[in-house]
Amino acid sequence: MLFFVLLGFITAVLVPLIKKISDNFLSWIIPIIPASIFFYFASFYYQIADGEVIKVSYSWIPSLGINFDFYIDGLSLVFAMIISLVGTVVYLYAGSYLKGDTRLSKFYIYISIFMSSMIGVVTSDNLMTLFIFWELTSISSYLLIGFNHEKESSRYSALQALLVTGLGGLALLAGFILLYITTGTWDISEINKMPAEVIGSSYFFLIVIFILLGTFTKSAQFPFHFWLPNAMEAPTPVSAYLHSATMVKAGIYLMARLNPAFGNSILWNDLLLVFGTATMLFAAVLSFKQTDLKKLLAYSTLSVLGTLTMLIGIGSDLAIKAFIIYLIAHSLYKGTLFLVAGIIDHETGTRNIEKLSGLRKLMPITMIIAVAASLSKMGIIPLVGFVGKETVYASVLELPIFGNYLIVITILANMFVVYITAMVGFRPFFGKLKSTPKNPHEAPFRMWSGPMFLALSGLVLGIFSSLFLNKLINSSELGIISERLNIPVKLWHGFNLELLLSTITVLLGLFLYFKREYFLKFVASFSSVKFVQPSYYYQFIFDGTLSLAKYITSKIQNGYLRFYILVILLTTFSLIAYTLHTFYSFNEINIGGSVSVYEVILAFILIISTLLAVSAKSRLAAIVGLGGVGYVIALFFLIYSAPDLAMTQFSIETLTVILFVLVIYKLPKYLSFSSTTRRIRDIIVASFAGLTMFFLVLVISGTSLTSELKEYFIAESYPSGKGLNVVNVILVDFRALDTLGEITVLAVAAIGVYSLLKLRKKDN
Amino acid sequence: MNLLFAVMIGVLYGAGFYLILRRSFVKVLIGLILLAHGANLLILTVGRLTKGNPVFVNSGTDATAFADPLPQALILTAIVIGFGIQAFALVLFKRAYKTAKTDDLDEMRNTDLSS
Amino acid sequence: MNLIVLPVILPLLFAVIMLFAWKYISLQRILNLVGSLILLIVSVLLFTTVLSDGVQSLHLGNWKAPFGIVFAADILSSVMVLISSIIAFTTALYSFSTIDNERESFGYYPLLNTLIMGINGAFLTGDVFNLYVWFEVMLISSFVLLVLGGTRNQLEGGIKYFTLNLISSAFFLAAVGLLYGLTGTLNMADLSEKIKLAGDNGLITVISIFFLISFGIKSAVFPLYFWLPSSYHTPPSPVSAIFAGLLTKVGVYSLIRMFTLVFTVNSEFLTNIILIVAVFTMVTGVFGAASQNEIRKILSFHIISQIGYMIMGLGLYSVLGIAGAVFYLIHHIIVKTNLFFIGGLIQKLQGTYELKKLGGLYKVYPIIGLLFLIPALSLAGIPPLSGFWAKFLIVKAGLELQEILVVVISLFVSLLTLFSMTKIWNEVFWKPAPKDNPEISFKHFTLSKKIMIFSPIVFLAILTVIIGFSVEEVFQIANQSANELLNPINYINKVLGRF
Repeated sequence: MLFFVLLGFITAVLVPLIKKISDNFLSWIIPIIPASIFFYFASFYYQIADGEVIKVSYSWIPSLGINFDFYIDGLSLVFAMIISLVGTVVYLYAGSYLKGDTRLSKFYIYISIFMSSMIGVVTSDNLMTLFIFWELTSISSYLLIGFNHEKESSRYSALQALLVTGLGGLALLAGFILLYITTGTWDISEINKMPAEVIGSSYFFLIVIFILLGTFTKSAQFPFHFWLPNAMEAPTPVSAYLHSATMVKAGIYLMARLNPAFGNSILWNDLLLVFGTATMLFAAVLSFKQTDLKKLLAYSTLSVLGTLTMLIGIGSDLAIKAFIIYLIAHSLYKGTLFLVAGIIDHETGTRNIEKLSGLRKLMPITMIIAVAASLSKMGIIPLVGFVGKETVYASVLELPIFGNYLIVITILANMFVVYITAMVGFRPFFGKLKSTPKNPHEAPFRMWSGPMFLALSGLVLGIFSSLFLNKLINSSELGIISERLNIPVKLWHGFNLELLLSTITVLLGLFLYFKREYFLKFVASFSSVKFVQPSYYYQFIFDGTLSLAKYITSKIQNGYLRFYILVILLTTFSLIAYTLHTFYSFNEINIGGSVSVYEVILAFILIISTLLAVSAKSRLAAIVGLGGVGYVIALFFLIYSAPDLAMTQFSIETLTVILFVLVIYKLPKYLSFSSTTRRIRDIIVASFAGLTMFFLVLVISGTSLTSELKEYFIAESYPSGKGLNVVNVILVDFRALDTLGEITVLAVAAIGVYSLLKLRKKDN
Repeated sequence: MNLLFAVMIGVLYGAGFYLILRRSFVKVLIGLILLAHGANLLILTVGRLTKGNPVFVNSGTDATAFADPLPQALILTAIVIGFGIQAFALVLFKRAYKTAKTDDLDEMRNTDLSS
Repeated sequence: MNLIVLPVILPLLFAVIMLFAWKYISLQRILNLVGSLILLIVSVLLFTTVLSDGVQSLHLGNWKAPFGIVFAADILSSVMVLISSIIAFTTALYSFSTIDNERESFGYYPLLNTLIMGINGAFLTGDVFNLYVWFEVMLISSFVLLVLGGTRNQLEGGIKYFTLNLISSAFFLAAVGLLYGLTGTLNMADLSEKIKLAGDNGLITVISIFFLISFGIKSAVFPLYFWLPSSYHTPPSPVSAIFAGLLTKVGVYSLIRMFTLVFTVNSEFLTNIILIVAVFTMVTGVFGAASQNEIRKILSFHIISQIGYMIMGLGLYSVLGIAGAVFYLIHHIIVKTNLFFIGGLIQKLQGTYELKKLGGLYKVYPIIGLLFLIPALSLAGIPPLSGFWAKFLIVKAGLELQEILVVVISLFVSLLTLFSMTKIWNEVFWKPAPKDNPEISFKHFTLSKKIMIFSPIVFLAILTVIIGFSVEEVFQIANQSANELLNPINYINKVLGRF
C-alpha cells in the first residue's frame, strides 16, 4: 500500500534520471505510473463492493500517535480510482500537449508529487498524515499554477491560490489538533465512531469553523471561490486534473469523510447547506459573462463543488447516493471538457469563445468527445450525468422544509451549467468557421485518446449504472453516513417529477444560450460592481496587511539608536517598577554602617565628575569627568578592602583616558544635537531608571546574607590554592575559566582594533 | 554606607542612561563606561561592604570579618573585559567618524531603512 | 570526563595556533576546517554520551560545587553544542569561496573560533558569572567579525549592534551582582535550590526581569530586537549566516535555562509576560519581513518572528511546549543558516541581494531553486519538513493549554512567513531576469570553489529533510530534554556533585 501511495514521490525523484534518455521517452513511459496505481486500487473493487474495508498501518511517529494508517472504503476507493484514472489520461495527454517544451520533466515532477499527495489524502486514516498530504497538494498546485512563471499573472494567481488554501490549511491544522484533544485519537475511523463526544465537546464550534475554513478554501466554496478561476493560468492538463477532477474535491472529500462524526449537528449541516447552495448559485451566475473556455469551465466546476457540499449538508440517504454519482460523473465529463478546451487552445491558439466557431469539419474526433461529455454534463439520458442530476433533484425535493425553495435555486444554477456546457461543448464546433491565430488540425492521438476514454466511461457507467454503481453505493462501506444505503441505482426511473425538472433545466439552459446577447447586458452591469466580488476583499486584505506591516515596521525599525535605547530602558524599568510594586512589600531598610567625612567628600567628587562627564561642552572636559569618576571609584575600592581592584581600576582608568584623548584629540567641536524637550524627557527616563537601581541596591545590600562561598574561599585559599591573596587565588584557581575568557576577550579586542585600523573596504 | 553607595550607583546609572540616549556616539560611549562603573560599584555594594579588611589570609583576622573576595574577583574580571571592549569601541567610533564624517547617530540610519 | 570542556578548549587552541600562523592564510583555512571537523566529532561523542549516560558534569580544577566553576551538559546543552558545531563546520566549508582574502588576512578564522568558543561556553557552563564571561567572548568576537572590513554599512550596523548588546551585558552584569547579593552563590544549580528553599520576597522576581531583558535583547524579542535588523545584512555572507544561525539562539538557550532552572518561583507571572512578548515578537517580526525587499533583510526579520515561536514554547511552560521550543531551536538554526548560505550564493551569482535586481534563476539553475525551496518551505512550516513539526508541537501545546488566541495569531504569522518565502521565490527564481542583468553563470568559480559553496548547502538541506522524516527520534530527544528541564533534579545533583 505504502509503495503505491508514495509511488508518485518516487517517480518525481526518478524523472530527472529518465529525462536523461530523452523527453519523448519520458512522456511515453511515464503514464504507466498512474495506470499501475489505478489497477492497484481497482483490484480492491470487489472486496470493497462486498462491504469490506481495508486497513493497513505503517509506524512513523508512534510517540505522537502519527502513523501511516491507510483505510480504504467505498468513498476512498471512488476517489483513488478517479485520481489515478484521470491521472493516466492527463499524463498521456501532457506528453503531447507539452511536446518540445523544455519544462516537460518539471511538469511530470510536480504532477507526480501532486498525484501521490492526493492519493495520500483520500487513503489516510490518520488526521495528521492526511494533513501532510493535504498541504503537499497545495504546494504542488502552487508550482503548477505558476508553471508559466515568467508571466506576472501566473505568479499572481499561484500566490493567491497558495495563500487562500494555505490559510485554510492552517485553520485545518488547528481544527485537527482540537479534534485530537477532544477525542484522544488521530484515527478518523475511530473519531467517526464517537459523534457524541465530538458534538458534545466544548471546542465543537471552533472545530467546525476551523475544519470548514480548511475545506471551503480548498474546495473553493463561496466566499473563497475566487482563486479557482484565476488558477486557470495553469497549463490545461493541470486545470483538468487539479482544478476540476481532483484537488478541489479534497475539501469535499474531507467533509464527506468526517460526516459520520459531525453529520448529526445542525451547525455542520446548515453551514454546508448554506455555503454549498450559495456557491452553486453564485458561481453559476458569475459564469455568464465569461468568454474564456477555461474560465467558463472553472465557474461550472465551482457550481458543482457547491452542489456537492450542499448534498453532504442535506445528508439524507438519497443525497449521499446523489453525491457519489454526481462526483463520479463530474470528474469524468469535466476532466474531458477541460482536455477538449486544451485541444482547442493548442490547435487554434485561442480560448476566446467569441473567436471560435465551425471546427467540426477540422476536428471531428474532438467534436464527438466534446458533445458526449457535454450531454453527460447537461444530464441527458443515457449518460451518467443524467443519473447524477436526477438523484440530485430527487434528494433536494425530499427535503422537508426548504425543499421547494432549494429546488428552484438548484434548477437555476443548473440552467447556467447547461448554458456553460453548450458554450464550451457545442459552440466552437458549429456554425461558420472563423479564422484563428493558428491553423487548427485534428489533435494527435495522445491528446484525444484519453478524453475519448473518459467520455466513453461516462456512457458505459450511465447505461450500466445498475451494474457498477449500484453495487458500490449499496453494499460497500461508504463511510459518509454510518448506515448502509439501500437505494437501487438505475438509469431509468420512469416518467416522474425529477425527469420533468431535468427537462425544464435543459430547455432553460438552451434558451439562455440562444438569447445570450440579450441577457449579457444585464449581467455585465451586475457583476462588474467590484464590491460583490470576494476577490476584491482578498486584494483589500492583502494590500492592507502589507501596508500595515510596512507602517509598523517603519515606526519600530526607524533607524534612530536613541529611540531603540529609549524603548529598551522604558520596557526594562517599567517592568522592574511594576514587579517591585506587585511582589515586594517594603520592610525597614538597612542603610548600613556609618561613613566618614572624607568618604562623603569623595562621593561628592564622584557625583560632580559624573555631572561634568554628562554636561561638558567639550569632549576633553567630559573625559576629565570620566577620569575623575574612575579614580574616585579606585579610591573607594581601596577603602573598602579591595586593593587589587583599586590597582587595576587605577591603571585601566589611566589607559582609558589616554586612549580617549588619542582618539578624539583631532576631532572638531562637540556638537549639541538634542532639543530641550527631548533632554528633559531623557532626564526623566534616566532619573527613573537611576532611582530604581538606587532603590534595588539599597534594599538588597540591606538584607542579611551568609555566603558559604566566602567562607570556603577564605578557608581553602592557602591550603588548596597556595595563595594568601584570596582574590588572586579565585582568579587564577577557583574561577580560572573566567580569567581564560577574560584574556580571550582582550586578545580578540586587540585583533579588532588592529583590523579596524588597517582594513577599510567599500560597500559594493 | 550602603546609602552612600546606593546614591553613587543611582547617579552613575542615571547619568549613564541619560548619555546613551544622546545622538553623539562619543557621549553614548561615555555613558556605557559610566554604566560599567555603576555595575562594578553595585557588585561591590550588594556583595556587602567591608571597610579596611582586605582578604590576605595570613593577617590572622577572623574569617567572617574579611571582605567577601568573590565580588572583588568578579569586578576584576568585569573591569578587564570592559577595558577590552572600550578600547575596541573607541576605534570603532573613530572609524565610523572617519567614514560617515559625522558623530551624529541620526545620520547613520541607512542600514535600518527598507530599500 | 574531559569531553565536556573540549568544545570550548578546542576552538581556543585552534585560534591560538592560527594567531601564530597569522601570515599563512591557506594554512589557517585548513586549520579551521580540520578544527571544526574535530569539534564536530567531539560534539557527536558528547551528545551520544549524554543520551546514553545522562547529564555529564565537570568540576573545573576539581573544586567542589558550588565553589568552583562547573561545566554541565544535559540534553539541551549537548544538542546545542552539536548544532553549533555543525554550523561551525559548514561555515568553515562555505567560507572557502565566499570570504575575501583581505578579511582572511585580518583574523577572520581565529575570530570564528573564538566566537564558537564563547557560544559553546555559554551552552555548557553551569555558573551565571561564567555565562556572562562567555557572553562577552562571543560578543567581542561577533563585534569584530561584524565590522571586519570596515565598510560604511558594516560600521553603521555595527554601532547599533554594539551599543544595544552592551546594554544587555550591563543589565546582565548588574543582575548577576544582585543575585549574588541576595543568595550568596553563582552556581545555577545551587541558585535553583537556594531560591526554592528561601522562597521569594519579590526581589528574585525583580532580578529575573533583568535576566529576561538582558537575554531578551540577545535573543531579539519584541521590543528589544532593534540591533538585529540593522546589522545582520551588512557583513559578508558566511558571517551573517553563522550569526543568523547561532547568536540569538544563545539568548533563547539562556532564557530556557534560567527560567526553567532558576526562576521558577513566580513562574505564572513570568510565563505570562513571556507569552505576550512571544506574540508581539512573532507578529512584528513577520511584518518586518513582509515589508522588506532585500533577501538578507527579509531573512533577518524572520529570525525575530521565529524566536517568537520558541519563546512561545517557553511561555506555555508545559512539557510539550518546551519540547516544541527545543525542536524549534534545532530546526531553526539549520534552516536559517542554510537560507543565508543560499542568499550568499545568489549574491555571488548575480551581485546583489536586492529583489528588484534579481530574477530568472530558476530557468538557469533549477537545482538552486530546489535547494532554496527545502529550507524556505521548512521555515514556512510546510509538512513534512522540519519546520512543520516544530510549529505543530508548539501549536498543539498551545491548544492543550487553551491559548486559542495565541495559537491563532501564530498560525496567521505562519501564513505571512509562507508569503515572504514565496516573495523571494517569485522575485529571485520565477520572475524573468531584468533586461540589463549580466548573464548568470558560474564562470568565476573553479570546480573546487563550486563544491565548497554547494556542499554545506546540500548538507544542511539533507539534514532538514532527515529531521522532517525522523521526527520520532528528534521529538524523543526534545521531549526528554523538556522533561529534564522541568524536573532538573538530576542536573542539580550532577552539578552539585551529589550522586
